[in-house]
Amino acid sequence: MTVLKTQRLWLCHLCHFILPATLLALTNCAAPVNYDVEVEIPSVGEVALNSSDETPEDWKLLDIGVLIFGTEQQASVRNQIGENVFAEVRDNERHLLPFSLRNTLVDSNQWGAVRVLPQADPSVDLLIDGRILQSDGTQLQLAVTATDSSGRQWLNKTYTDRTLATDFPESTDFRNRNRRNLSAVSEPFTDLYEQIANDLLLARNELSENQVRQISQISQMLYAADLSEESFGDNIQRTADGQVTIVSLPPVNDPMMRRVHEMRERHYLFIDTVDEYYEALYGDMRDSYLLWRRYSFDQILEERAAEQRAVTQERYSSSSGYLTLTQRYDRYRWSKIYELEYRELASGFNREAAPAILELNQQVHGLSGTMEEQYLQWRRVLRQLFALENDAR
Amino acid sequence: MLPVTLLPQTMTADQSDNKRYTTRSRALHLLLMWLLLGLASPVFAQDDLPTLDLQRPMRLDFSGSWEKDFGRSDKWEDELNRMLRIRQEQATRQQAGLNGGGGPAVSLGNINVNSGRSGESIFDLARLAEYISRQTIMTITQNREEIRIERRGEAPLICSIDSGPIATFSSPHGSEVCGWDQQQLVFRITLPDNLQITHRFSVAADHTQLRMVTSVSSNGSAPFNLIQAFNHYEAPEEEFNCVLTLSRGRVCSRGTELP
Repeated sequence: MTVLKTQRLWLCHLCHFILPATLLALTNCAAPVNYDVEVEIPSVGEVALNSSDETPEDWKLLDIGVLIFGTEQQASVRNQIGENVFAEVRDNERHLLPFSLRNTLVDSNQWGAVRVLPQADPSVDLLIDGRILQSDGTQLQLAVTATDSSGRQWLNKTYTDRTLATDFPESTDFRNRNRRNLSAVSEPFTDLYEQIANDLLLARNELSENQVRQISQISQMLYAADLSEESFGDNIQRTADGQVTIVSLPPVNDPMMRRVHEMRERHYLFIDTVDEYYEALYGDMRDSYLLWRRYSFDQILEERAAEQRAVTQERYSSSSGYLTLTQRYDRYRWSKIYELEYRELASGFNREAAPAILELNQQVHGLSGTMEEQYLQWRRVLRQLFALENDAR
Repeated sequence: MLPVTLLPQTMTADQSDNKRYTTRSRALHLLLMWLLLGLASPVFAQDDLPTLDLQRPMRLDFSGSWEKDFGRSDKWEDELNRMLRIRQEQATRQQAGLNGGGGPAVSLGNINVNSGRSGESIFDLARLAEYISRQTIMTITQNREEIRIERRGEAPLICSIDSGPIATFSSPHGSEVCGWDQQQLVFRITLPDNLQITHRFSVAADHTQLRMVTSVSSNGSAPFNLIQAFNHYEAPEEEFNCVLTLSRGRVCSRGTELP
């Protein structure tokens, strides 16, 4: 009994010692951390979109698929209570930002169909894959790759754009009469998307007509092989590094290929519809997202100013006394109040985005799951349909 | 007697005897009664019972509305006088050579009220403790994930129900860490120049009384502790449930909660 009591007392003392010690250690950890210095990627600056007034020749009109963006866990994101709200914002951005790029590519009038896609699609000629490295009101940083169906990489580059106060609406009150003004505000990071579009155009212009035509042929055969590997798998050759070449083409009047064309048309209808859903999502979220970015811009500027003030105060103010202590506490108190308000705004944005995301994931009749899952189901259905039709003939 | 380390660092044993709760024994009784009731009531349908997550620590219920009990709360002037008296006694003992040389260095023939190396006096720390714990009402919400303490004019104190210290906030103006010390909820705020503020919350097992001990210290000095006692009261229910949206501002509804 005495031994038990002694053990309990010892454990008690241990707990009481360990918790404050750990708290103290963590407090020190919570202080601003210096992360590895990274090379700053210069901003794209002011960019003019290279657009065409006339529709280019048919062979130039490659179909582009813009994949839903990926995200990257930022080193600066602290593991704090309430931080998951920002992860949710980032998840919403994954669906929203590709549509801005898609709009810019459409506006350039240099390409065929440009669609936002939930998954890599064998029917498109050029696939754009982006990763959000940094996204807030002041800066957008995207790592972008663009690869055509032959496996040739057109782009592998990180783009950065920074905003100015003039990129945002002056007021954040858009509830009634100002709503129209909000619709007139353009995307704050337009320059970044325009730079990507211009780089893609440059890459296409470096290819010969024959090379561009080959891309279309390869995507056609890739789609055929995706429907029926045993029928068309031998027509193409894939290398270990992802390069695709055509070994042989089926005859022009091949009935199997005609059915592939029919299936491809149906597939286009599907992915056009999916693209429309992303357009609807963009329409639903655009206003609140623009406001969110404006708030984010203000918050980050305030944070920077606070950091500067803190440095200045540390340098010049070492006075003690009640007034200094209360000022120190009040600065902390207000910085926390602002931070929590900022999180609340992030929740407000997520709350408004939720119905649109839900709608996106509920759209296709007979399919279930997220849009990504529905897309995979659709491709499976098409393969089965193709097999059934071939068996029937 | 409870080990002194459970209480704020410089709280004396006398003080602890006067003001401590019998929280631990009450909690044990409550747990036992709950277990007995559970065993004696097999008629409850299992589906009606929430799943008991054994990985998650059990916490006392802090939730509800709380108002300050001025009669049982410390007055900062009294507490300051008490501290100064203790120091004076220590100084006297030290002067008389009774301390054996193990105590803190206290200037002779005078009360050195400068407690910290950076010069913050115990007087200033006491006034700061009063300033940061001046709220008379607090509202606490608690669920299985987190506990949230709202006080007027202050950012809420939010902590996870899980064990382990958690960083809850960090800025150039200071950082906050929270954690559980058995059934006590502890928030430690570190401000520039190593100004430390600790809030320690404990609740009576019968959920009628709550205590908040605020400790303020500077640069490793002995902290000034201020105890605030609160009584539970039934606040009228909010008529509207409001949520913030970006494009429509605050949207409120009557009755049911908005999604």
